[in-house]
Amino acid sequence: MDDGGDVRSLRTESDGVAAHLDGITKVFGKLTALDQVSFTANRGRIQALVGENGAGKTTLMRVLYGALKPEQGAISLHGNEVQLDSAADGISHHIGMVSQHYAIIPELTCLQNLMLGAEPEAWIKQAECISRADELATKMGFSFDWTAKAETLSPSGAQKLEILKLLWRDAEIMILDEPTAMLSPADSDALFGSLRQLADQGAAIIVVTHRLPEVLDYCDHVTVLRGGKLMADKPVSETNAEELAELIIGHGVDAPVLDEFEPGEILLKVASLTVKGERGDEAVQGADLTLRSGEVVGLAGVDGSGQRELFQAILGLLNPVSGSILLCGADAERVSPSKRIEQGLRLIAEDRHAEGVVDDWSLEANASLGLQRLEPLRSGPWIDRKERADFAQQSTDLFAAKHQGIDKPMSSLSGGNQQRFVAARALLLRPKVILAFQPTRGLDIDGAAQVFSQLRKTCRDENAAALVVSFDLDELIEHTDRIVAMSGGRIQSPPPGEEKSRKIIGELMVEAG
Amino acid sequence: MHLPWKHIWLTLAAFALIWLALVAVGAYPPEAFREMIIRSVGKPAAWRETLFQMTPLLATGLAVFVALRAGLFNIGAEGQLMVGSLASVAVALAIPSAFGMILAIVAGIVAGALWALPAGLIKAYRGGHEVISTIMLNSIGMALAGWLLAGPMRNKLQESTTTAAIDEAAYIPHVVDQMPFRMNLSLIIVTLITVGFAYWLKRSVKGYELSLVGKNPIAAKFSGAALKKVTVWSMTASGALAGLGGALMVLGDEHRVYMGFSGGYGFDGLGVAMLAGGSPIAVVPSAFLFAVISQGSDSLAQIQIPKGLNGVLLGLIIIVFAAYRAKKETHHD
Amino acid sequence: MTNDMMQVLMSTVVLSGPLILAALGGLFSERSGVINIALEGKMLGAACTAVFIGAQTGSPLLSLIGALGAAVIIGLIHAVLTQVYNVDHIISGMGLNASILGATTLFAKTLPQLQTDEAAAIFPSSFFWTMAFVLAGAAALYIARTRGGLHLLAVGNDPDKSRQMGLNPVKIRFKSLAVAGLLCGLSGALIASTSGNFVPNMTDGRGYIALAALILGGWRAIPALLACLLFGFFHALELMLQGQPILGVDLPPELWQSLPYAAALIALALFAGHNKAPAGLGRP
Repeated sequence: MDDGGDVRSLRTESDGVAAHLDGITKVFGKLTALDQVSFTANRGRIQALVGENGAGKTTLMRVLYGALKPEQGAISLHGNEVQLDSAADGISHHIGMVSQHYAIIPELTCLQNLMLGAEPEAWIKQAECISRADELATKMGFSFDWTAKAETLSPSGAQKLEILKLLWRDAEIMILDEPTAMLSPADSDALFGSLRQLADQGAAIIVVTHRLPEVLDYCDHVTVLRGGKLMADKPVSETNAEELAELIIGHGVDAPVLDEFEPGEILLKVASLTVKGERGDEAVQGADLTLRSGEVVGLAGVDGSGQRELFQAILGLLNPVSGSILLCGADAERVSPSKRIEQGLRLIAEDRHAEGVVDDWSLEANASLGLQRLEPLRSGPWIDRKERADFAQQSTDLFAAKHQGIDKPMSSLSGGNQQRFVAARALLLRPKVILAFQPTRGLDIDGAAQVFSQLRKTCRDENAAALVVSFDLDELIEHTDRIVAMSGGRIQSPPPGEEKSRKIIGELMVEAG
Repeated sequence: MHLPWKHIWLTLAAFALIWLALVAVGAYPPEAFREMIIRSVGKPAAWRETLFQMTPLLATGLAVFVALRAGLFNIGAEGQLMVGSLASVAVALAIPSAFGMILAIVAGIVAGALWALPAGLIKAYRGGHEVISTIMLNSIGMALAGWLLAGPMRNKLQESTTTAAIDEAAYIPHVVDQMPFRMNLSLIIVTLITVGFAYWLKRSVKGYELSLVGKNPIAAKFSGAALKKVTVWSMTASGALAGLGGALMVLGDEHRVYMGFSGGYGFDGLGVAMLAGGSPIAVVPSAFLFAVISQGSDSLAQIQIPKGLNGVLLGLIIIVFAAYRAKKETHHD
Repeated sequence: MTNDMMQVLMSTVVLSGPLILAALGGLFSERSGVINIALEGKMLGAACTAVFIGAQTGSPLLSLIGALGAAVIIGLIHAVLTQVYNVDHIISGMGLNASILGATTLFAKTLPQLQTDEAAAIFPSSFFWTMAFVLAGAAALYIARTRGGLHLLAVGNDPDKSRQMGLNPVKIRFKSLAVAGLLCGLSGALIASTSGNFVPNMTDGRGYIALAALILGGWRAIPALLACLLFGFFHALELMLQGQPILGVDLPPELWQSLPYAAALIALALFAGHNKAPAGLGRP
């Protein structure tokens, strides 16, 4: 705070405070999402807000942004207590938030996205707006084709546009929710470079994240939340990774010593597979992959490296441009998705709501989703109701999903219990190849461990194999037998003996990105 | 007790509009409603007419329901019914026998199915919205009917544009025939089909997949259901049922086809299916209610209330009921 | 022959006028994310009101205001049903169309004065045709170059993200449906002014054709205008060729009558996949 002899040196510590949240309590139904949490954001500082899923990070930020009203507590901005009733109030107080899922509308141009909700005048003077946009972009060292549709942006391009949106709105307090979730490590570095530049210009930056290296490398101050409670609030220089991990998780989880097994026959062989993605780009490029019975293989990589398209090609939902897929010993070309399911292909879908369940159908009806053509759930052209009910019961029991009866709608289950149900369903009926996309989404650590241990057990006992996508490398290191990395549509395997080396896999994840 | 005021207001507003419409045309509403009831279910002859109307309403209602279950709006039941009836009358005229009747029913089904097929194909393989394509097919079907009735199929002996009447041998037999009340087999046929469909939908794997496609097409895709096939088949089946409705009208009741033959049953079918909500069995009472309203307001012409009231009534019923259903669905989340 | 050509071109303009206005109404509605099958009902309601007020007052201005008012009210009812009551957009539209068709039929038969004595009681058709072309240009500019237009595109494509950016999708959709009402009101008044009296179902499915044109035009103003002209052209062709043998074959009028519909169907099959609908169409 001491920057020499000019008048600015008279600033006290509190002058640097851009926003202060005092004793915030927020309750959703029975759940106390935030319990008497206080939080301060200073100008010129990059502040990290860390915690597990469900620790209350996003809720706290939405309170600061005005999108949620707390039951208790006060918000003051620049030393004055304020009342924020809506996100629009937050914007008018120069608070800007970039949410994890960018608020960029792909069908609009970059310029339209930049201005949306903050157009200078009713009549849009295109040339003037573009020159101001260019000015902001140049300041940050970015460059944009403003008249291009935003759908052409890469994840890092979208992130940059989000930052410019904050600048366009003269935001002084900038909240970024998991800003690196969709970025490659190189892009993440560049992002934090930009954030540092903004902080130096006087902005208060808040980064919500669960990635500790980011916190330690780039942030000035860290606040830890656990279960809605404030656990720590200290300068980064006064802490370290072990302490933070302890504060976040509470108790250390032992990495299980995985049981020995002998890999058996090849169940899935993907060779030189190239698949076109939604935008016509080659989302999967000449990928090779082999799964043998008994093993659980992790597929590491940042989001958008081609995992989705690879899965869809294996499921038979996307036609490969070239290459081959061998499923259970037979060429899968021209084999319909339902035939592949009959051969033993199972899916734990990424987006449960869209792909994996029908919310207002009963658990019983949901149990056979995707398995509806398999015996004994099917008997001739008819559904075997008794078998289906039994199967639904097993699916709830395997991971002890809490429910009020299998005749109740799926929507009556919490997200975590739905995930348990969906994961169980994929393991219970003669699986051969299990594709799992973030199978532990929404589960706590114990729940995740349970799912993985059952997944391994199923693969070992029933001679099946699993391919698990996760964006969390640590999870894969802890729970899978070996890991391959996917990056820019290519799959690379670490050299023998290094199958679970964090360093080597980390490098592979970056290489082509 | 938390009353759904929003929906109570909507119901009252709809009721007020109906009242206003009646007052505006110079009727005394309670009197009009009483007449409607009497003239639709008050006497045996009224029952006869109401049940006649119920047959096509049930057929088109079920037709729309099938498509709706797969997530498709079949606005084209009107055209499908008309084309079905023309095919049916042509066959029945050519083969005036009980065997001809069977063939005529099949012809109606096939013609209706073919008239819906393009909409299913365009939706599944080209992404063109089925609402627009079925409306276009309606117009083309009506033009086709207009041409056939004015030219090739016209009975030259009569002044109005109509086909010749089919031979009595090809009539669908009556199950009850004690005039003034009589009822032929066609209503029973459609009711049985409805019951059979309900069972199939609930108990068969294909029925499960059909509902899945309508409920969550993405999950259906991931579950191995053949999305495009289901779209084409359900739209075609929908057309087949509407065509069946047309055939049964010809063979059971009208015995000929003329301009204005379908009289809006196709559009009413949409309302019948909506009112039935998610249950296929409920299509039966729903069709009955529509028949009562339709027959009732048709016969109001006899007390100098012009046609058109049923449009108002049915339109508002569809809206109010859809609002209640939307509320129920949002309540689930 | 040149004379015939001129005549076809003239009647193309005349016949496509109501389509263009209605399609523009559909543009505002659907771009904001509300599927609008109710174009037909709005046009019919407006036509009925235009004739009724025109006949009652003899004032073209009042007649026009009445037509616009009626269509705006119907548009707002559609907005309330879809945005407040979450009724499915297509069901709401069909319900409204059925009710309005019924109600106008009811009135047409009851109120004998539903006929203007002189065409002057409604603005002349040429006024509306000019409006149709001017408004198509204006709509294109509005959507591409103004704040309101940008908000319209945004809520139509993604209401959730728009909300995040501080917009109010429901409010924007109400406004858009009011504008859609105005445009359909013009269209209905034009139909009324061309015929001078009211006949039940006189819009004759033109609302649906306008919607098809909008879809063929990829939900853009100028291409939609061109699609409307195409439909108008076919209709004009039909009127001219009716009863005229071509190459010695006497084709039935119904064939010409169904041409625009068949053209729409084929165009839908050929082009639908290439045109992207507003991504948020029909979403709450």
